[in-house]
Amino acid sequence: MEKKNHISLRTFCERHGVQESFVYSMYEFELVQMDHGQDGAQLPLEELPLLEKMVRLHHELDINPEGIQAIHHLLQQVEELQKEVVSLRRKLDRLE
Amino acid sequence: MEYIDYYKVLGVDKGATAEEIKKQYRKLARKYHPDLNPNDSGAELNFKRINEAHEVLSDPDKRKKYDEYGKDWQHAEEFEKAKRSRGQSGQGGYSGYTYSGSGGSAEDFSDFFESMFGGSGSGFRSQRQKVRFRGQDYQTQLQLSLMDVYTAQKQTLTVNGKNIRLSIPAGVEDGQTIKIKGHGGPGIEGGPSGDLYITFSIVNNTDFKRDGADLFKTVNIPLVKAVLGGEIVVETLSGKVKLKVNPGTDNGTKVKLKGKGFPKYKKEGQFGDLILTYSVAIPKRLTPEQKSLFEALEKTKLE
Repeated sequence: MEKKNHISLRTFCERHGVQESFVYSMYEFELVQMDHGQDGAQLPLEELPLLEKMVRLHHELDINPEGIQAIHHLLQQVEELQKEVVSLRRKLDRLE
Repeated sequence: MEYIDYYKVLGVDKGATAEEIKKQYRKLARKYHPDLNPNDSGAELNFKRINEAHEVLSDPDKRKKYDEYGKDWQHAEEFEKAKRSRGQSGQGGYSGYTYSGSGGSAEDFSDFFESMFGGSGSGFRSQRQKVRFRGQDYQTQLQLSLMDVYTAQKQTLTVNGKNIRLSIPAGVEDGQTIKIKGHGGPGIEGGPSGDLYITFSIVNNTDFKRDGADLFKTVNIPLVKAVLGGEIVVETLSGKVKLKVNPGTDNGTKVKLKGKGFPKYKKEGQFGDLILTYSVAIPKRLTPEQKSLFEALEKTKLE
């Protein structure tokens, strides 16, 4: 049984052709959330975009879970910096 | 439609082995993968190109056909057309060169590719689609003027043939992306739909500069008014306001008009401030009478 707004870990792994251990690694690294109930592990649907990105990095670029954790951290920094650049550009534009 | 040199795209020799092609493809994929290059459309396009090159050069049949026709590829197109008319390949309706941008997937090919290999028969592609569960995310851009986003907007967007009615809150920023949940591609076998991401491009053709909800404007005030004080009328986005200029106002003086700025995003009824910078205008042409008055002023040793 799948909870509302959740997908079972098993279904996710079957559809994406990925090992459950991979998703558990992401969970252990605190990159994604997972709920554990009587019916086994369940993934909230809002976690799917991020988890699918991780699966793509794993499948398409052969990046291991540790590498994905490092990439995730760096990408967060890149996105923060991009936001800061936009905000600084706006301020600069105002002064010109 | 131009010929695409797939060997050049991957940066390999015409005689490259399958192993060399694979190695070079992986190297470039790690560089341009959209998931590793957030908000970089250039990287996305490069990724699409190398995927297409790899799709052709890693498949012995496609590579053979590509090498055989080479720059004479238009004959291949004719060949494909003839094949299609015989009903051997029924795929058509390739609609442009768009990239859905859900990251990682490269499901669109150039017209060149389509004309040479047709729209069907890509094992690579069908394999990718099988592993998907959640629908694709769609990305689109919407251009509005600053005055458009001064008030809440209702817009109808057409995305992939579907009309989506949209309420855009006032105060959207230039470059801001909003997510419309569930309006992306449909999920596969009961999977959830993807999301629609709309990035706003706000064109500012007003005299105001904007930083978040605050607006900035430079206002010229006459020299005499700056010295003696007086009243001026200033245009704001919500209408004209009358302002008192204090006697002895310096050039560059800043005045903040609270609540006369831009609406705060998703905070109905709240506005930022309008910050005015006074620029004291020095008169360039004086009548003889005005000139003599300034000279008289000079004699008073006014500093």
